Amino acid sequence: MHDTVDVALDVNGTPRTLSIEPRETLAEVLRERLALTGTKVSCDAQVCGACTVLVDGLAVSACTYLAVDADGRAVWTVEGLATDRELAPIQQAFIDHAGFQCGFCTPGMLMAATALLAEDPSPTREAVIHGMEGNLCRCTGYAHIVDAVLAASGTHREGEPQA
Amino acid sequence: MIPRFSLARPRSLSDAFEAFDASGGDAAWLAGGTELLQVMKMGLAQFGTLIDIKAIADLRGLQRTDDGRLRIGALTTHRELERSPLITEELPGLAALEARVANVRVRNTGTIGGNLAFAEPHSDPATFLLACDATVRLVGPRGRREMGVGEFVQGPLSTARDPDELVLDVVVPQRAPSTGRAYEKIAFFERPAASVAVRLAVVDGTIGEATVAVGSFTEVPTLVPEAAAAFRGSEARPEALTEPVRTALEAFGGLDVIADLNGSPDYKRHLAGILLGRAAEGALAEAVAHA
Amino acid sequence: MKRVISRPDAPFPIGEAVPRRDGIDKVTGAGRFTVDLGMPGLAHARLLRSPYPHARIRSIDTAAARRHPGVVTVVTADDLPDVHLEYGHAVADHPMIATGKVRFAGEPVVAVVAEDPVTAEEALRLISVDYEPLPFTTSAQASLADDAPVIHEQPGEQRAHRGFSEDIERTHPNVCSHSKQAWGDIDDAFARADLVLDGEYRYPRSYAYAMEPYNAIARWGEGELTVWTSGQHPYMVREDLAHCFDLPLSAVRVIVPYVGGGYGSKSYTKVEPLTAALALRAGRPVRLVLTIDESILTTRGDAATVRLRSAFDREGHLLGRQATILLDTGGYAENSPLVGRKAANRLGGPYRIPALEVTCSVVYTNTNPASSFRGFGAPQVTLAGESQMDEAAERLGIDPVELRRRNVLLPGERPWANARGIDADLLADLDLASEALDWGSPLPPGRGRAICLSASDAGSEPMSSSIVRVHHDGSVTVTCGSTEMGQGSSTVLAQMAAGEMGVPLEHVHLLQSDTAAVSYDRSTGASRTTTLMGLAIQAAAQDARAQLVQWAQENLAPDGPTVVEEHDGVRIGDAHHDWGAVVRSFFGGSAGEVVGRGYIRRHGATAEMPPFWEIGCVGVEVSVDESTGVIRVEKLVTVGDVGCAINPQLVEGQDIGAAMMGLGMATREELIYEDGNLMNGNLFDYRVPRTTDLPELVPIIAERGDGVGLYGAKGGGEGSLNPVAAAIANAVSRASGIRLREAPFTPERVWRAIQERDGATPPA
Repeated sequence: MHDTVDVALDVNGTPRTLSIEPRETLAEVLRERLALTGTKVSCDAQVCGACTVLVDGLAVSACTYLAVDADGRAVWTVEGLATDRELAPIQQAFIDHAGFQCGFCTPGMLMAATALLAEDPSPTREAVIHGMEGNLCRCTGYAHIVDAVLAASGTHREGEPQA
Repeated sequence: MIPRFSLARPRSLSDAFEAFDASGGDAAWLAGGTELLQVMKMGLAQFGTLIDIKAIADLRGLQRTDDGRLRIGALTTHRELERSPLITEELPGLAALEARVANVRVRNTGTIGGNLAFAEPHSDPATFLLACDATVRLVGPRGRREMGVGEFVQGPLSTARDPDELVLDVVVPQRAPSTGRAYEKIAFFERPAASVAVRLAVVDGTIGEATVAVGSFTEVPTLVPEAAAAFRGSEARPEALTEPVRTALEAFGGLDVIADLNGSPDYKRHLAGILLGRAAEGALAEAVAHA
Repeated sequence: MKRVISRPDAPFPIGEAVPRRDGIDKVTGAGRFTVDLGMPGLAHARLLRSPYPHARIRSIDTAAARRHPGVVTVVTADDLPDVHLEYGHAVADHPMIATGKVRFAGEPVVAVVAEDPVTAEEALRLISVDYEPLPFTTSAQASLADDAPVIHEQPGEQRAHRGFSEDIERTHPNVCSHSKQAWGDIDDAFARADLVLDGEYRYPRSYAYAMEPYNAIARWGEGELTVWTSGQHPYMVREDLAHCFDLPLSAVRVIVPYVGGGYGSKSYTKVEPLTAALALRAGRPVRLVLTIDESILTTRGDAATVRLRSAFDREGHLLGRQATILLDTGGYAENSPLVGRKAANRLGGPYRIPALEVTCSVVYTNTNPASSFRGFGAPQVTLAGESQMDEAAERLGIDPVELRRRNVLLPGERPWANARGIDADLLADLDLASEALDWGSPLPPGRGRAICLSASDAGSEPMSSSIVRVHHDGSVTVTCGSTEMGQGSSTVLAQMAAGEMGVPLEHVHLLQSDTAAVSYDRSTGASRTTTLMGLAIQAAAQDARAQLVQWAQENLAPDGPTVVEEHDGVRIGDAHHDWGAVVRSFFGGSAGEVVGRGYIRRHGATAEMPPFWEIGCVGVEVSVDESTGVIRVEKLVTVGDVGCAINPQLVEGQDIGAAMMGLGMATREELIYEDGNLMNGNLFDYRVPRTTDLPELVPIIAERGDGVGLYGAKGGGEGSLNPVAAAIANAVSRASGIRLREAPFTPERVWRAIQERDGATPPA
C-alpha cells in the first residue's frame, strides 16, 4: 500500500534486513521493528540527545535520522554495550557513580559517552563537560554523569564501537 | 512524525535532476536532513518525494583548487569541516565556527550545502562565508551558475536557488598575506542571538581592507560597510580597536533587527558590538600570524 | 560526599550508598517505560488541538477523516455521552476533550485513532473545525480586570472529599481559588517597624521537562479498565477514571512502570481518561503518546506575582510579613488551588514571624494549564521572602547570614499554632553552608555570595499502606504504591525493608505502582515517599515480625522457652531460627508465607501536620559579566537536611538535580506568550541547564535524626530548588549592586538593570 524500501543494517553486530517505509526514522525502526526500546525519543528536535545512537561510530539523533541512511552501515545502540557476561565500563561507571535517576536520558548519555571516549580515551573534566553538552538530563544535574564518564575513561575496551 | 514520502536515491547529478522532474516539482533534496526532516516533522513543509543526494560524488570533496582557493563540496558535514587539517590551516575561523554549530550529532550529519540552502537567519557558516567573500556555486538541469553569499541568501529561509537546483559547493578565496578571518557569536538558546564576522588585512602596521558581516539578529547575513570602514586606517594593535568598534557600533544602529526570543533589538545590537570587538581582535591576530 | 551525622545508627543497609536497584535496567536499556510497552491489537491516537487561546467551537467536520484508510475511529466530546468528561484534583473543571469551547491554544479538540500514528496524523489534517474566537487574557492581572473575558462561565465541581471546599470562592469569575494564612496583629507589626520593605517579585511560567512525554495505554475488558501510564499517582488516576466511567474502584487497574521524569508535573490525572475513552469507542486497546511539544501544552508550573511587605526592627528581627500572591493557573485549575494554599503557608519561610497575613488568588488565564511542580509554591514565595531578608540586611548593616540566624525557628518551635514544630536545626544548616561557601572571606570584584533558606510544610497527607510478605525461604516481597520516577524509591524502600526485616538486600524485592497488586498509597510527591511509605513499610515489617514471633512460639516452642526476637529471626534457647523456618513451621513444613501489613494515617507520630518540614538551604557564589548581563553560578552549596539519608548517594543526586533545575528557572527558563500563542513551546527555544552550566558543587547532607520517618528521616528532593532563585538574586545584588525581582534573570534583564544602575537609559 505504501512505498517500501529494503535496508540492510548491522545492529549491535548483527546483520538485519528489513523492508521499511522511507519515512521511518532510525529510532522508529530500532524501537518498533527491532524491539530495541533502549533508545528513547524525547524532544524529537535533535536537541536533547536521548535518542543518540552511533552510526559507523558517529553519534546521531536517531529521531531525525532516516533508517535508509543507515543502509550498509553499523549501528550501535545501548543494547550493544554489554556482552553476555559483563557490562561495559561506561555502564558500570554509571551505576557506581549513580549517573542516572529516571533513566530516560541514560541510553543516549551512554552512547554519547562511548563516542566521546572512543575519540578521546583520557579526557579532562572540561573535555567531558564540553563533549557531553549536547545531551540533556533533567534529573541528575549532570555532576554524577561527568564523574561517571571520567571514571570510565582510560578503561575503554577492545572491540567497542570506534569512531 | 515525518509524513510519508517517496524516496529517490540517484547516484549522479543527471539522475537527480531527472528524479526531480519526474516528481512534477513536488520534491525536495535530502542531504543530512537535520533541517528538512525537522520542518517536515513539525508540519511546516510537505513533499511527495525526497531525493537523497548523498550518493552523488560531484557534491563531495574538500580541496584546494589550482588557483589556491578552497573548494568545499555541498555534502561536507560540519564535523568534517571542524576536523579538516586543510580548513584548520587555511580557514581557521571556519573550523572554529563549525566546532560550535548546534551539537555534535547535528555536526555529524548536517552539511554545509544544506545549511546554506535552508538559509536560516541564524546560520553560522553563512555569516562567516559572506565576510570571506565566498562564492556559492549551483548546478541544475539548466546548467551551472555562481554568486556571492549575499546574492544567494535573499531572505529568511529563502535563497536564489531554484527548487530543482542543487548547491554544488562553496568556494572561498585564498587567504591573502597578512589577512585574518574571524567569527564570534553569542547564544542563549540553540541558535545564536548575534554573530559577527570580520575579515581584515594588515599593511605596514595599519589595517587596510576590512569587511564586517553580521547575522542571527538580522533577516539575512548582512555586510555592514560603514562598520568595516571604521577599521580602515586604524593601527593594527588590539588596543587600537576600541575606537573603531565604537564607531562601527553606531553603524549597527541602522540595521533592521529580527524579532525572536533572544531579546530586544537594542540589546542585540549591543551584543553585536561586543562580538565585533572580539572578532576584530581574532582577525587581527590571524593576520599578524600570517604576514 | 560530605555527610554530617549525629543520629543514632540504623540497621544495615539503611544509610548506605548501595547501588541502585534499577541500575542494570537503566544502563542496558532493558528497563521499560510506558512508551516502551505494546500489545497485540494496539491502535494509535493523535490529537487535533485548538489554534485559538479562547474560542467557541461552532462545528467540527470529521467526515473525511473517518473515511481515511487505516482510521479506526474519530472522537469529539459529542461522541462520549456516556462518559463524565470533567476531571481535576481540586476542581473538576477540566474536560478530557474540549466541550463547546477551548480555553488555551493547544487544547485537544478532536482525537483520531488509527492503525498507526502516521495515519492518525494524516487524518487530523482532513478535519476542519469552525471556531468563533473570543477575547482572551494571558496574564493574571488582565484576567482580574472588570471587563476581562470569563474563562469558566460555570465553576467546576469542587472536590470537597479531597479537602477543597472552603477556599474555592470566586471573588471574580476568573478566580479559581483563594487561600489565606494569617496570625498575629499585622497592623501593629508595621506600625512598630524600624524598617519596612515593599516589593513585587515575579516567577515565570515554567516547564518541568520530564524527558518521557505524557503517554498512556488503555485496554477495556468486560466492565473493567486497565491503564498503563507515565504518572506519579496511580491511585489518584484510578479514582478519576472510576468517576469518569462510572466504575467501582476495584474494576479499574492503573499500572505505572518506570517513569521518565516527574518532578510533580506527572502528579494527578493527565491523558489517562481520554486514552480510556478512545479505547472504549475504538473497541480496541489504544495508545496515546504526546510529543514533548504537546506535553508542554499539557502542564506547566504556576507563574506568580508576589507583592511582599516585610517589617523589621532595627536588630533585624522580622516583626511581620504581609503579602498578596497571584498565581496564573492557565485555562484549568488542575492542582493550582493546592499550590496556592501551600504558597501562602510557605511565605513565612523558616522564620519566627509574630504577625503574618498572606492571601493567594489562583487565577485563570488562556494559557496552558498549570499544576504541581517541584517546590509547589515555595520557589515563588521564597524569591520574595529571601530577597527581602538580604535587602533588610543591607539596609540595617547586618550580615545576611547573621540576620537569618536571628530569625530562624529553633527546633520544636511552631511556625504557626498547631503546626508541627520545626524538626530541623536551621542554625546548624547555616553553619554548614557558611563554611562550605567560605562566607566572609574576600571576594574578587564582580562576584557575590548569598545563602538562602526555605521551609516547606511537606509530605502531603499521611495516607499510605504497605504489605510485607515473608516467603518460606526467608526472602521478602514488599508491595507499595510508590512510583519509581528516578528519585530512587525502588532502591530506598528496599533498603528500609531489608533493614527492618534483617534480611540481605538481595533477598528483598519490591512490587510497585500497580493498583491491583499493591495496597493503597496516596501519591508519590511532596517528598513524602521515604518518610511516609518508609513508615508504612516499617509498620508492615513490624506486623510481619510480630506474627512470626507468635508463630514461632506456637509452633516451634509450644511448651517454652520464651522465644526471643532477634534482628533477623528468633532465638529459642541456643538455636537461631530464621524467618523462613518460622514461616514453614506455621504452615506445616514446606512452604507458606506471612503477610504483614502497615497503615499510616493521621495518628500517633504522624498525627501532627505537616508530617515533616522540608528545608532548603542553598549557598551560591556568582559572577556577572556586566557587558552581556550573563550570570554565571560559580559555586553552589546545598545542605540536604534529611534527618537520615537512607541512601546518601541518592540524596546527593536529588539535591544536585533540584538545585540545577532551580538554576534553570532562575536564569533562563520561562514560557513566553504573545497574542495568546505560546512562542517557545519546544526544547529549541526553552532552555534547560546543560553540562556547561555546572558550577563547582558542594552538596552536604545533614543527618540529625530529627524527622518522623525511619531513624529520623525526612523528605528531600525539592528543598534544594526552592531558595536558588533568591540566592542568585541576592548574590548578584552583592556582585553588581542591582536588585533583580523578575525571574528568570535573563542576560537582557540583568544588562538593563546594570544600565539603569549606571544612569544610562537605553532605548526600549
